[in-house]
Amino acid sequence: MKYITHIPRQQDFKIWLALLVFVVGLPVLTLWSIRTSDPLLLGPLFVLLGFFIFNLAVRKRPAMKPYFMSSLNILTSKVKHEFTFEFSKDLAFEKVKEVLEDSAFSLVAADKDRLELQASSGISWKSWGENIYIWLEGDDERSVMKFCSVTLFQVYSWGKNEDNGRRLIDAIEESLTI
Amino acid sequence: MAIEVHLDVMLAKRKMKLKDLSEQVGVSVVNLSILKQGKVKAVRFSTLSAICEALDCQPGDLLEFVPDKQPETE
Repeated sequence: MKYITHIPRQQDFKIWLALLVFVVGLPVLTLWSIRTSDPLLLGPLFVLLGFFIFNLAVRKRPAMKPYFMSSLNILTSKVKHEFTFEFSKDLAFEKVKEVLEDSAFSLVAADKDRLELQASSGISWKSWGENIYIWLEGDDERSVMKFCSVTLFQVYSWGKNEDNGRRLIDAIEESLTI
Repeated sequence: MAIEVHLDVMLAKRKMKLKDLSEQVGVSVVNLSILKQGKVKAVRFSTLSAICEALDCQPGDLLEFVPDKQPETE
């Protein structure tokens, strides 16, 4: 059984906020700054730039998982997925690790004791890249892989988060044909 | 209905380890472990041939069809 779920958050609110900030707020502030010759008005632009550089610098650190997955981090888009295996969580961990190593995602970290994995997808013209956090739950008979695709610096993922989930699930399903 | 996999029995008969079989047939230990538990989605003929060759056995030695138990009627 597989299913994809979104984190229940105010997605519409985030999109409207992003539109307001990026499409209206920043150009207005920039124009105002030029007109009044007041560089302080460019502050919000530098704050966003700093936020982007910070995210880029720490994206591959497993310790930053709570930061990227936090619902308070409103400048990143998150989509959660789940996949059920009919075998133990330890075996599922090895399977997911194997699939990630053979996929277009790059495996960043794998913690066998905590059954957690972290992967990342590349940067493209449509995206600044995504982090994929995976953790496994279950017992010796059945396990559930939970994973969250998080954009690095995008309020709206343009379907990239959903694509990542689908790509990973498809790759896992395909790998179960040996 | 279910297909039971007797890979562990054949491995024990041939005194072979899963890792050795993995190296011989070119299938990962993880996949062979999942096959051993009968949890794979499908097995390719090429994989089955390679396993049979490595273990010197027939497909029937590895796979067995076990029908579901019918509920008893009065």
